[in-house]
Amino acid sequence: MVVPVGELEVPGEPPLPTGVPASQIQGRNPWYLAWLRLRRNKVALVCGAVFVLIVLFCLAAPLWAEHVAHTGPNENHITEKVVIDGQPTNVVAPDGTPIGPGLHGQYLLGADQNGRDVMVRLMYGGRTSIYIGLAAAAVTTVLSVIVALLAGYYRGWIDSVLSRIMDVIWAFPVLLLGIALGTALAIGGLKIGPLAIAGDSIWIPIMIIGFVYVPYMARPIRGEILALREKEFIEAAVAQGKGPLRIMFSELLPNIISTIIVFFTLNIANNMLLESALSFLGAGVRPPNASWGTMIADGYEMIYTAPHLTIVPGLMIIATVLSLNVFGDGLRDALDPRAKIRLEH
Amino acid sequence: MNTLRKVVAIVCITPLAAFGVAACGSDKGGGGGGGGGGGDINVALTSFPDYIDPQLSYTLEGWEVLWNVYTPLLTYKHAKGKEGTQVVPALAEKMPDISPDGKTYKLKLRQNMKYSDGTPIKASDFAYGIQRLFKTDSGGSVFFNGIVGAKDYADGKANTISGIKTDDNTGDITIELAEANGTFENVLGLMFAAPVPPSTPLDKDATNNPPPSSGPFMISKVEAPRTLTMERNPNFKTVKDAGADEVVDASVDKITVTENKNNSAQVTDIEQNKVDFMVDPPASDRLQEVKTRYGNRFRMEDSINTYFFWMNTQKPPFNDLKVRQAINYAVDPEALNRIFGGRMHPTQQVLPPGMPGYSEYKLFPGPDMNKAKQLIAEANPADRNITVWTNDEPDRKRIGEYYHDLLTQLGFNATLKVIAGDVYFTTIGNESTPDLDTGFGDWFQDFPHPDDFFRPLLHGDSILPTNSNNWSRVNIPANNAKQDELLTKLIGDGGVEQQYADLDKAYMEQAVWAPYGNERFTTFLSERMDFDKSYHHLLFNQDYSSFAIK
Repeated sequence: MVVPVGELEVPGEPPLPTGVPASQIQGRNPWYLAWLRLRRNKVALVCGAVFVLIVLFCLAAPLWAEHVAHTGPNENHITEKVVIDGQPTNVVAPDGTPIGPGLHGQYLLGADQNGRDVMVRLMYGGRTSIYIGLAAAAVTTVLSVIVALLAGYYRGWIDSVLSRIMDVIWAFPVLLLGIALGTALAIGGLKIGPLAIAGDSIWIPIMIIGFVYVPYMARPIRGEILALREKEFIEAAVAQGKGPLRIMFSELLPNIISTIIVFFTLNIANNMLLESALSFLGAGVRPPNASWGTMIADGYEMIYTAPHLTIVPGLMIIATVLSLNVFGDGLRDALDPRAKIRLEH
Repeated sequence: MNTLRKVVAIVCITPLAAFGVAACGSDKGGGGGGGGGGGDINVALTSFPDYIDPQLSYTLEGWEVLWNVYTPLLTYKHAKGKEGTQVVPALAEKMPDISPDGKTYKLKLRQNMKYSDGTPIKASDFAYGIQRLFKTDSGGSVFFNGIVGAKDYADGKANTISGIKTDDNTGDITIELAEANGTFENVLGLMFAAPVPPSTPLDKDATNNPPPSSGPFMISKVEAPRTLTMERNPNFKTVKDAGADEVVDASVDKITVTENKNNSAQVTDIEQNKVDFMVDPPASDRLQEVKTRYGNRFRMEDSINTYFFWMNTQKPPFNDLKVRQAINYAVDPEALNRIFGGRMHPTQQVLPPGMPGYSEYKLFPGPDMNKAKQLIAEANPADRNITVWTNDEPDRKRIGEYYHDLLTQLGFNATLKVIAGDVYFTTIGNESTPDLDTGFGDWFQDFPHPDDFFRPLLHGDSILPTNSNNWSRVNIPANNAKQDELLTKLIGDGGVEQQYADLDKAYMEQAVWAPYGNERFTTFLSERMDFDKSYHHLLFNQDYSSFAIK
């Protein structure tokens, strides 16, 4: 059957290019249509590009550290000197004042009180923050999808139990729950059966952040599953004798994939904000490792004399979170223009 | 117009209100016996005292607060400089009568004194306080091990300490020592030996419900680890009337002590007169600003202390002398001085300048990273996974980060653990804490005797299950014996100071620590405080009884 071009268009959206024969559109999959919609959202694309640039900037950290700064992110140079304008200059003055920013390869953004290169720490810190954001979003997504599929497919008491557990987690303020878990796990680490994570491991904040956001993602996905569960194609699958696992993963999951992608993107930004807050409060990334949150915490002590130590990582967080949020909104509009999904907390 | 009216009203009302508050403060004054002055002040500190309990507290913050709350039989003179290290009678009528063999101390409690809650102060309360030291596993118990029967009592073999005899009717107190002890008068002047009533739990920390006070202030409220309030002791008059002239009365009515982890915010609060005194020195980045802009209410203070890295000598890799020597060669005191904003005198020894027995020497010239790496290569430790401990106070955290980097450069796989300052020393002093390898340590003199830098920190008997201060777990029998031998002599005896200097070197030859500096302290007050009256005591830091409002 040939579908008229007009029927492929989405109400409220600009029409597809005119003059294109329906036969050429007919075979296009939803992902291509989503890309066509996303391409029209220039702001979202620019923000996506900004995020990619930030990621590339952070990935270049080892190159900058080795070839320009000649130091690692945690290396102290308190009593060393650098030559600036032909003059040997203390990295940290005898009274404890560190060198400020300037157009010299080393210490481009100055040093902190331990004589560490702020630019190098900013780049490595970005890697940590983005890595935590992505990994925690993956943890949240996997847990949320499992919970949502089980609750939405089986309904009944399984749904009740899982939903109440989600309610309990939801009832805690995210930051307080994160601080409580971060502080409790800092000394002894996490041990659940064969899973053992050391207290200083980066996986502690990842697991904490991944865990506390599960209800925020699981509940709306569960709602979608509950609606899909009533559709005819699920009844047909049951009638064909497909088992619950097969129905969940081959019938239900593909139908919520666009929702998951949007949530995943928005979740990265939220995770990065929470990581920064936890690290600032001493319950996230462990010193001396850098993340943008720990850099703000370190610089905060010197905000009067060296405000750039706080402002620069703060601006990086703003740029990353803003770009991800705008791009995530654009992605949501492109993948499912009728969707109203958002991360609420 | 409306705004202008408000501004005018505020400008007019504020001085009147201030006058009213000041007047109220003056009216309330004198409750304790003529301290005069009055008013309420606020004190900020970065780490809350470890305990609000005279038998348990063993941190700078705790002693600074408790010195004017719990009065022992003897005390230290309320005076600045060396005069403040003189032991004087407090709740005891006079200095003890010491038997010719130096083993028996006789004291007499003053009559008719009362605690802040009205309970009479009795001679037996002294014995009860000493018993609490052992039952609570206090870090201060090591100073009282020499009392006859103390060990049996600590081991549960006796119900009382046989070497302490008291008579509540006469106030007589007799203390028998197993051996003569040249520091015992000093020890009796510490809050560890302060009498407390038997209503105080014998074997439990009393922080949340502190015992009634016998000093000019009482603790009226504790919300550990956030805030505590000190108010005038209404019964301090009974102590003064009993003739305790050396126990000085307070000049302010109320002191609210609040923890604030942000040192920079503390500085700003004092600059803006919201807080009247900060216990910790301003962070290094604010120090220059404070020195230049507020020189009329800021000064540097001498303090007798040693900062060092402790190394667990009973566990690999620090059970190897070469590894410990390597750390001493690698540590750069000048780098650490810059972290402290230039407030540190470099050192490589146990005893600090100003302490009898101090004689400057340097066994590990450097910093010499090549020598350090060579020693590590020779030692070739099998276990290179180590945990570095420090606390979250600004300088301490940076010190930990410096040390972590140093150990990484030496080829160790170091993990940095940063924990809250108010629980740091109790955590590293607890033998059940895992991975106690190495970390930040400091020690401020308890009394002006070199034994104070050796016995609690380096004597084998000081390795306790909890509240231990021997963080390096040092137990060298020959040095223990030397400490015990020197303790029986007076510091003024011929050659004793030199023997303490030799003992210092004997410990550093074993590189039991990596010492790097002696810190100078500061006094920074708000504008409303009387800067000239307040002073820094060599043992207890700021003397809160010297605080006065202009």
